[in-house]
Amino acid sequence: MVLCLTLVCLFCAAVLGGVYALTYEPILRANENVLKASIAEVLPEGVEIGEYETIETGGKNFEFYAATKDGDEVAFAVKSTTIGFGGPLTIMVGVLSDGTVYNTSVVTCNETPGLGAKCQEKDSHFREQFKGFGSDKKLWVTKDGGDVDAITASTITSRAYALAVSNAVALVNYLTGNAPSVDTYTGASLKKDESNVQEEEEK
Amino acid sequence: MGKKLSLITDGFIKNNPTFVLVLGMCPTLATTTSAINGLEMGLATLFVLVLSNMAISLLAPIVPDKVHIPVYIVVIATFVTVLQLVMQAFTPGAYATLGLFIPLIVVNCIVLGRAEAFANKHNVWESALDGIGVGLGFTLSLTVIGLVREVLGSGAAFGWKFMPGDGVLAFVMAPGAFLVLGYLMVIFNKYLKKS
Amino acid sequence: MDKHIVSPNPHIHSAVSTESLMRDVVIALVPAIVVSVLFYGWAELLILAVSAVSCVLIEWAIVKFLLKRPGIFSPGAALVTGLLLAMNLPVSTPWWIVLIGAVFAIGVVKMSFGGLGQNVFNPAIAARVFLLVSFPQQMTNWTAPQGFVALPDAFSGATLLGQVHILGAEGADALASVQTFLYNIGGSAGEISALALLAGWVYLVVRKVIRPWITLSIFATVAIVAAIFHAVDPTAYTGPLFNLLSGGLILGACFMATDYVTSPMSNWGGVVFGFGIGFLVMMIRYFGSYPEGVSFAILLMNMTVPLIDRAFHGKKYGRA
Repeated sequence: MVLCLTLVCLFCAAVLGGVYALTYEPILRANENVLKASIAEVLPEGVEIGEYETIETGGKNFEFYAATKDGDEVAFAVKSTTIGFGGPLTIMVGVLSDGTVYNTSVVTCNETPGLGAKCQEKDSHFREQFKGFGSDKKLWVTKDGGDVDAITASTITSRAYALAVSNAVALVNYLTGNAPSVDTYTGASLKKDESNVQEEEEK
Repeated sequence: MGKKLSLITDGFIKNNPTFVLVLGMCPTLATTTSAINGLEMGLATLFVLVLSNMAISLLAPIVPDKVHIPVYIVVIATFVTVLQLVMQAFTPGAYATLGLFIPLIVVNCIVLGRAEAFANKHNVWESALDGIGVGLGFTLSLTVIGLVREVLGSGAAFGWKFMPGDGVLAFVMAPGAFLVLGYLMVIFNKYLKKS
Repeated sequence: MDKHIVSPNPHIHSAVSTESLMRDVVIALVPAIVVSVLFYGWAELLILAVSAVSCVLIEWAIVKFLLKRPGIFSPGAALVTGLLLAMNLPVSTPWWIVLIGAVFAIGVVKMSFGGLGQNVFNPAIAARVFLLVSFPQQMTNWTAPQGFVALPDAFSGATLLGQVHILGAEGADALASVQTFLYNIGGSAGEISALALLAGWVYLVVRKVIRPWITLSIFATVAIVAAIFHAVDPTAYTGPLFNLLSGGLILGACFMATDYVTSPMSNWGGVVFGFGIGFLVMMIRYFGSYPEGVSFAILLMNMTVPLIDRAFHGKKYGRA
């Protein structure tokens, strides 16, 4: 009885070990391809994507990849997570080194189908508006006095998305030493109206 | 040959795992948001079912009665893990959508149920056929549920959108799974099972 | 064996038939319907017509062709479901969404469980929730067309409960006034006038069609829960008056929660049922992600009715 169970377990363990060894390389490659694709999507073409780096700032951990062209750091791809309507919303944000958003893409999203999940649609107005979003514009939704048009009936997802982008921009500004023209980092994007925000800026 | 063939066709109608035996409800409800997802989940289960049925029919005579359940579970878990690794390596897209539910095939009552009810009393060849029949029945049921939910919920069939915009979103969400499963079960038992 | 025909309840026969009860309910709904048509005009008439006609027709078709038991067809009950469904939708709802709602209310929620008297959930409320989940954009579009009477002031486009997010709890509280009691534009069509709804409810109570305990229990629970939270932090939580007057509370408490089939039979059961609804409504309004929770609360409590009935036996026949 014990012998039988032991033998079966040993045999299964051996099989699994073998399969694991065989698939180890392909799994790594597959994961890398998925990641590469999501990074490449948010960065300008023809840049060299650097190594995976992490940084902790403002109590948050960020994963990011610096992209170089001819040896200069020209852009960063930042993985940024905020809490949306249905849980964590993780997006990849490509930011040029002057603090301008290049493009964004969704990594994980549990938002409501038909509402918040529309943030995954490429070429939608919501996603397109982030392209070239400069530091002169305010990275929060229009309802709260910002410059981001929210997805219809999905303000919470839109807020989370904008906040994730804004966090990524703040991180890049921090990395490159740019002085942000608008305080995008402190969560000012959740302020109710513009007057509040302006007061904060004056301080 | 007729008997062998009926081993396969039984799994479709008489022993249909979803609509008649009502087994494996967790993946049935969770993964059938579209026809493709249902199909992929069905095929993954089919793979495990056929291999575990064969392995167990070989092992059954030499495994002592007292430990037969642990042995079956170990065998099934092994095949599921193999499947998981292979999918991760070669079909990362399907793995991303089904991810969580692949390991859950281990506790899918269909697999252990066929091992207990069929494979340990029959030879390898018959067990394989039974696995194919039940697996295909499961695949078919999941695909049909997924198709109905996709057509009603997102206005598409197998990923092909035939109407602009969204459908009746409730069908893509959890309540829709229960509704569609319930009504398909009614239709299946009223019309197909009789014939 | 087959000599005895077993039929589903109700078994008791009396002069008060289902149809005459339903006639009273329709009469009670008239004031609220008149007000909504006055304020919303032809669009509201269209929704009412589509919903009522399709509910009756669908019930008739299912009874005749699917169940093949024409005897259990009761147009009055289907009509009430149709009217209540229409009153629970925003006036801007496209007609085909109303139709889907009618199919769901009658086909799925009512007839799938065996028809009149067998359904667990209130069909109109269940259909409203189904539509809200399925068509979130259309179902939260509160823009109102011009009705037969001019609107006294410009309509802002968000419901009273929606205002909580914009104005904060204190600002929203200030909106609850005598005016909101008389008419309150925005929200589902039937929710305009608290006065008209309460008038219909009083008619039903006076005619002894319904007993008042469920409704009163809901109102009392909402008022008490809101008063407690409001006392703790008036800036975060809206007060009792606002919560009684806003959203679908009065419509739900007067006409939905009191549905015979899906509410407890005994008076004390009704009080418990009402407490559950009131409490859930306030929890959803304060802490939920949807601004309004009356329909969810009623559906959740519908499920507990068999349990409540077991705990609180109704009056036994033959006893005082």
